[in-house]
Amino acid sequence: MAGTVKLEKLGKPGVFINCDTFDEDAKSASMDNAMPAVRRCKISSAEFYKLRGSVETIRPLVESVFDDLIDALTAPLTPDEENPPGQKVEEDEPAEITVTGESYLEAAEEFNRVFLDNRWGDGLPMVPPTPERVRWMLSGTSRSPQEAIGKVNPKQGVATIEKIAINAVMAGARPEYFPVIIAAMEALTDKDYDDLHILASAGSFTLLIVVGGPIAKEIKMESGIGFLGHGWRPNNTIGRAVRLATLNIGQTWPAKNDMALTGRISPHTFYTFAENADLSPWEPYHASKGFKAGDSCVTVATTYGFGPIQNFYGGMIGTWTAKEILDNMVNDLIRRDRRSLFMWGSKGVGPVLGSGGGAHNHMIVLFPELAAELKKMGFDQESLKQEVYQRAAVQYEELNPEDTKGIQGGIELGVVPADRKAVFQAALKPGGMVPVLISPDNLHFFVAGGAPGCAFSFSYYRIPPYNRIAILTRPVNGATLTKAGSL
Amino acid sequence: MSEKMVELELLNPRGLIESQPALVPAHRVGDLAGKRVGLYWNSKPGLDNFYTVFEELLKERYPTATTNLLRGAFEIRDDDVDAWVKEIDTFVYAVGD
Repeated sequence: MAGTVKLEKLGKPGVFINCDTFDEDAKSASMDNAMPAVRRCKISSAEFYKLRGSVETIRPLVESVFDDLIDALTAPLTPDEENPPGQKVEEDEPAEITVTGESYLEAAEEFNRVFLDNRWGDGLPMVPPTPERVRWMLSGTSRSPQEAIGKVNPKQGVATIEKIAINAVMAGARPEYFPVIIAAMEALTDKDYDDLHILASAGSFTLLIVVGGPIAKEIKMESGIGFLGHGWRPNNTIGRAVRLATLNIGQTWPAKNDMALTGRISPHTFYTFAENADLSPWEPYHASKGFKAGDSCVTVATTYGFGPIQNFYGGMIGTWTAKEILDNMVNDLIRRDRRSLFMWGSKGVGPVLGSGGGAHNHMIVLFPELAAELKKMGFDQESLKQEVYQRAAVQYEELNPEDTKGIQGGIELGVVPADRKAVFQAALKPGGMVPVLISPDNLHFFVAGGAPGCAFSFSYYRIPPYNRIAILTRPVNGATLTKAGSL
Repeated sequence: MSEKMVELELLNPRGLIESQPALVPAHRVGDLAGKRVGLYWNSKPGLDNFYTVFEELLKERYPTATTNLLRGAFEIRDDDVDAWVKEIDTFVYAVGD
């Protein structure tokens, strides 16, 4: 829809075609782009997706809407279109809502009913965000409730500390978790982070939230056996607070303007866990991002909705060695990423060259025993990145012509960054080994889990469709109830 | 309200959306005869077939109209816009959703 509005603003009259399943989404997007009167032509989802495979099968559908399309391009604007309503703003809604019941139980039930009816919930029972509880949540930070940290897509809702606190209360979080929740929201609302793709896309992308540094232990986050599972209030409610905050501040709803066809995996809590600082032989992940090892930080990363995920094994069934798991990891990267080499030569699907579909980022979780064994082999995270990158390569002679053309196209277009061109130019020769990743920096290692544990990966586009980045680390600060993150 | 009733005062969790003036769409072309009709698609399969039929029907009704098919990103890129707007009078935009 943004593209249609862009062209209309340049004086070109147009019509946007959408399937009926996406009608409310398209209408909402026209509002989000400040042009509610964009002319739209609705076609049947049931027919389009089934019949689009050939010219002949799609013909009756096109014939059925042809007159509507012509009218949309030629009929003068109506008075309503000439004077469209302005965008609804929050002032139209009450700042406070009162519910009643004959008992607290009934009032709380009424709260849940009202909030869900308004699409202000996530489907699970919530804690009532009374002013007292919100003040309690705010006691976890020294930051002003009125501070705006950014905006949440698709409606560009303003994320203030207070609004995040209200949603954190509803999620069942405690005040000492609140600075971590704020840091996650700061990453998501960064001007360069593509939160739109994860919050609204038909693809069922979801979110990874990883907490590193001493605050994770101080607030008792689980990072051992079961770390991605249920039962851990910090992990589960931090993720749920982010879920509710994005849902309510960005104002999304499934099948309305969040079009994830199968929903999003781990929808209520995302994938939220802490690095295992006690058992990891290495510095936390954020140390590789310019922060001190002793800092507390939150990393958010978008990931594909299917999975997790590629399992490199470990665990308690089969025997394993670090070398075998490393081999599995490398082979998996080769198997998956070589399939998209031909796409490197495409401009991509978004505003940034190479966005979507081409090269990937991989967020790889290693269990502590494995990290310890890798350390014995001489690796830290940085040298492991280099090792995996160099081994995740295909012999030049094994590439098919489309792969080679794709990589060369990527070099010419600039999809392959200037500082990486020499690597590929040297590799695209007889006897060369061609990496399937653009850079070692597309590998991100986290240590989590217990003993025994498993190694696996989450993956996503190196560059997302609607903005510049899809993985970002932000420091925790302003904490008042923990030693960590208090600066 | 009965003395026995429990009342819960709750804060609104929704984010403020800053008001912005609504933009008006461009004025229509009136007649497609002799016009250059842009057809944008985001590469999702099937829209090429859709547009093939559309072009046939358009030619039948407006023999002097021409089409300009542009395959691009999910949302048209700025650099594509700059060139394309010079080549079209009106447009159809489809993304397969």
